[in-house]
Amino acid sequence: MVVEERIARKPRRSLAWLQSIGIMLKVAETQLRLISRYPGSLAIDVIMPIVTTAIPILLGRSLTGSFDAQAFAANTGTTDYVPYMLIGSSMLTVVTTALWNVGFWVRREQQTGTLEAIYLAPASRFWVLAGVALYGMVRSLVSLLLSFILGCLIFGINPLQGHIGLAFSFLLLGLVPVYGLSLIYGAVVLRLKEAGALIQIAQWLTSLLMGIYFPITVFPPLLRWIALVFPPTWMNNGIRAALLGVGWFFDSWYADLGVLAVFAVIMPVLGYNLFAVVERKMQRNEGVGTF
Amino acid sequence: MIQVRQLTKTYQVRERHGLFATSKRAVHALNGIDLDIERGALFGLLGPNGAGKTTLIKCLTTLLLPTSGTATIAGHDVVQAPAQVRNAIGCMLMGERGLYWKLTGRENLAYFAALYFVPRHERNQRIARLIDRLRMQDFIDRPVESYSSGQKMKLAFAKALVHDAPILVLDEPTNTLDVPSARELRAIVAELHAEGRTIVYTTHVMTEAEQLCQRLAIVDRGTVIAQGTPDELRRQVVATEVIQVRGQIPPRATLSVQSLPSVREVAIATLDDGHELLVRTSEPRQVLPKLIETLYAYGASIEDVVPSRTTLEDVFMALTGRTLAEDTRTR
Ligand SMILES: Nc1ncnc2c1ncn2[C@@H]1O[C@H](COP(=O)(O)OP(=O)(O)OP(=O)(O)O)[C@@H](O)[C@H]1O
Ligand SMILES: [Mg+2]
Repeated sequence: MVVEERIARKPRRSLAWLQSIGIMLKVAETQLRLISRYPGSLAIDVIMPIVTTAIPILLGRSLTGSFDAQAFAANTGTTDYVPYMLIGSSMLTVVTTALWNVGFWVRREQQTGTLEAIYLAPASRFWVLAGVALYGMVRSLVSLLLSFILGCLIFGINPLQGHIGLAFSFLLLGLVPVYGLSLIYGAVVLRLKEAGALIQIAQWLTSLLMGIYFPITVFPPLLRWIALVFPPTWMNNGIRAALLGVGWFFDSWYADLGVLAVFAVIMPVLGYNLFAVVERKMQRNEGVGTF
Repeated sequence: MIQVRQLTKTYQVRERHGLFATSKRAVHALNGIDLDIERGALFGLLGPNGAGKTTLIKCLTTLLLPTSGTATIAGHDVVQAPAQVRNAIGCMLMGERGLYWKLTGRENLAYFAALYFVPRHERNQRIARLIDRLRMQDFIDRPVESYSSGQKMKLAFAKALVHDAPILVLDEPTNTLDVPSARELRAIVAELHAEGRTIVYTTHVMTEAEQLCQRLAIVDRGTVIAQGTPDELRRQVVATEVIQVRGQIPPRATLSVQSLPSVREVAIATLDDGHELLVRTSEPRQVLPKLIETLYAYGASIEDVVPSRTTLEDVFMALTGRTLAEDTRTR
């Protein structure tokens, strides 16, 4: 009977993979479409890191007389504090937008009721979330590139110094654990139905731990340890080391990259499982549809 | 196609008393629902506000985990095999919510088609057919935020059809529609049913249920209080009905009317301008044509026939002592 056939139309195993990838791409594409309906958001993405860089740089320039290049070099391993700052604030923007990515997505879809609509569909949550992360990555990489190039022009930096390929490896591998953290934040938002709380503090804490404005070598030991279990710290330092030669945490690039690779496995697994637990808990009570 | 056994659902809610004081309370939304919906049925769920219709549908569509009991959809358990269940159901749940207002209608449909595993090469065709069928050409390429409420409902309906599922679950789909749009939607539902789909249709408008559904369950306070065809439900509470005939009726006709099968009592009254015949029967539909035939045979001229109608509203009142319009959510 026709009806029987229709139910039986579950993807065959070989096709299931392709279809899952297709879902991920469609979700990412739709999110990009949505954001493209808010022109100006890209401009803000691009300009923010430059503005946040400009402050310490201008501060540094105005204090040129008292700026102690030697002390800076002793702590950071480079005398080029302008590119050091630009890389730092670009990284900060990339990391923080990635951190809030899943949470903001959950909140938006909760409010429009589309989260429930997604939960009605057979597409696996994993691939939908992967699509959201992919969208976040595309968006932040594009704005990162634009703002970095623009920043180099404005502050007169040569963007082609150092090991660019290695820096990219740190960037791409480093973003994976950040999306794991993003899932954890997403799970919190799913539960509390509130995305704004704690963001101010978390933003400030992130910039501190990542060593954006102060290298973590100047931290007291306890704080340094905390910074070292925060994956973006390794990414940020790796990129600075690759481009500016500030020095690795473990004396060699592959050891540092290896640490990031471990984080890249652990954090997404942790994040996804937490998300699934919260989701289950919600379905046991009022569901994901309430807002 | 759909089997529900002793399904219960309890919500834990936090009640607020003032600024800080809160307490937990359990809301028993479903208290042991049993339902059997056959393949190809157009099944109505009728119940007042807060009866638990939406909760039941959310359990059937895997949005909520039941507190206890089981439900299987097309042979798949809603807890064990949610993906298969979702695959088998097209659902219209929250009306105009659940759409991306910044996207166009077509973009929305393409997105959800992907989430329902509609193969890429079929998507555009399928969507084009839906647009045709629901007559959405005029607005489908505009952002949803510019739609009227009825147009949004239509799009939500199209979304439920996008993967061509064998089961359709519609939660008060005509809620915000005006009379012609609601009629149009019901006509399409009837068509989809004629094509062989199993349809669960929720409403608190009893005329709608009566008109559209072959079978229905009346839900009240989380339980099914009656189930059957509209006629069976009526008979369940009202054993007999009275047919009223006005006109010029020769009194000797009453004896023949009395002898018709399933007629219980006959009374005739003489009015200023003729007669009024009252016939009490347990099978008004079968009796009516024979009654008229008999009366004509005696040379009666009939001016007006008023078949007494027991509505589902009456059924609900007889079963619960309340009207459908009453809100039970506060209790
Ligand atoms: N998320 C929730 N948390 C707590 N209680 C809920 C929740 N959703 C529904 N309820 C309660 O469960 C009961 C059944 O609600 P439900 O929405 O299923 O009714 P309904 O039959 O769909 O009503 P309506 O015709 O108004 O849509 C009500 O008492 C309602 O207050
Ligand atoms: Mg409802």
